[in-house]
Amino acid sequence: MISMEITATKKGIRVIGIILLVYALLVATHEGEFWPFSIYPMFSQAGNPWTRAMVLDVTDQPEELIWEKHSLENRQWPPVPVREYGVDQIDFSNFISKTEHWTEPRKAALNNMFGSYPKDGMKWMTVKVHGQLVGKDSVAVEIVPWLLVTEDGVFENPNLDPSRYIGGGQQ
Amino acid sequence: MKWYHKIGAELFEPDREQTPGELIFFKLFEAFIVFYTIKFVWEWGIYSQIRNMEVVLPLGIANYFDVSLFFDYNLALINASLITLLIVIAFFRMGPRWLYMVIILLFHLQYVIRFSQGEIPHSQNLIGMSVFCLAIGAIFFPGQKQMPRFVMGSIIFFIGLGYTSAFFAKLIGTGINWYDGRHLWLWISEKSIDILSREGVYNPNLLQQMALGSTAVASIILLIGWLTEFIGFTMWWKKLRPYTVTLLIGMHFGITLTMNIRFDAFVIQLILVGYPWYRVIDTYLKTTPEMIKRWA
Repeated sequence: MISMEITATKKGIRVIGIILLVYALLVATHEGEFWPFSIYPMFSQAGNPWTRAMVLDVTDQPEELIWEKHSLENRQWPPVPVREYGVDQIDFSNFISKTEHWTEPRKAALNNMFGSYPKDGMKWMTVKVHGQLVGKDSVAVEIVPWLLVTEDGVFENPNLDPSRYIGGGQQ
Repeated sequence: MKWYHKIGAELFEPDREQTPGELIFFKLFEAFIVFYTIKFVWEWGIYSQIRNMEVVLPLGIANYFDVSLFFDYNLALINASLITLLIVIAFFRMGPRWLYMVIILLFHLQYVIRFSQGEIPHSQNLIGMSVFCLAIGAIFFPGQKQMPRFVMGSIIFFIGLGYTSAFFAKLIGTGINWYDGRHLWLWISEKSIDILSREGVYNPNLLQQMALGSTAVASIILLIGWLTEFIGFTMWWKKLRPYTVTLLIGMHFGITLTMNIRFDAFVIQLILVGYPWYRVIDTYLKTTPEMIKRWA
């Protein structure tokens, strides 16, 4: 019993060729991604500064300090482990760093992300974390307090120019 | 014979006779794909129903209509149920030949519903690509003689292509200095924030400490990984396949250790397609069980 004959093999490679064509067309017109087709561009742009996000617990901390920018080494407030609250860190981080217009629905969506938290007077500061190469041999990581989330709502950092919350993107 | 027919012969092995081992292995492999498809569509469906509020980044067909509709009314869960039902029917070959094609379309829809939030993960691409190859195989190469060969051969083709494509994406995106160790420092620091935020604590492991301690060590780690990606396409050749796949699996463990990114489905699938498991089955079984023939 011969399984796949020569003619079938030729047909097989022809079918792969046609798939490749469709594959190439779809990824070329959709910025490299048309799941499950992909050019696999992960980590393709090296050396660029990055922005992530995290949540710091600033409950009971003095108001005048919580809005200050600081470096990662000088971080004072403990991080809130977002997984414990059912939040996907990657989604959360993208939501904070890629949202350009902080409209009321966006802020409500941020509040909704953590379910019933923060509650009982807790204050959670979502921060943007920026990393970049400095000089020849080090990475500098800066923390910028971004949005304070409490039971009463979501508040912008008064130290930052309000325009950064409208069209601010990756700043 | 033209060069592409030679590649075809390496992928589809027309000279090799079909054995019980091949049919049984193929069915086990298909069961693995079915299992992960069901797992993913439910994970994505539940997450989308609970968490997704707005489309941050439209992917695939989400560019053409607003998928936020699927965040409510349990539509993502209904889609998951539908995919589950159809893929079980397809697995037992009880439906029409084009059933897997319907499944890959619904699977794509489920992916763009879930990943409309700004992240573009690739860890489920191999499972998606396998469902796609099952769809093409079921339509153009139906039956137990041809379908297993075409499906496995085409999956191997696209896995190899994917790795080599990743190599060129880096070469084009950054240039020949992509492997500069300081780039790895940036990624390690970036991932460390994700872990700190997710878990509340982060401590670098030994490999990360070594990479952070020396540009040369970090550069060598990146260079080895990058070159391994480049040779991905060599798995098209039957004789080279086990060696290439072993290197790729090693690379994935390296990425897990340096960047804390895990690839369970990816690595299991590489283990399944990279080695001639049918030979192991053939040493124990000389005939094909009736039910495997029926589902082939």
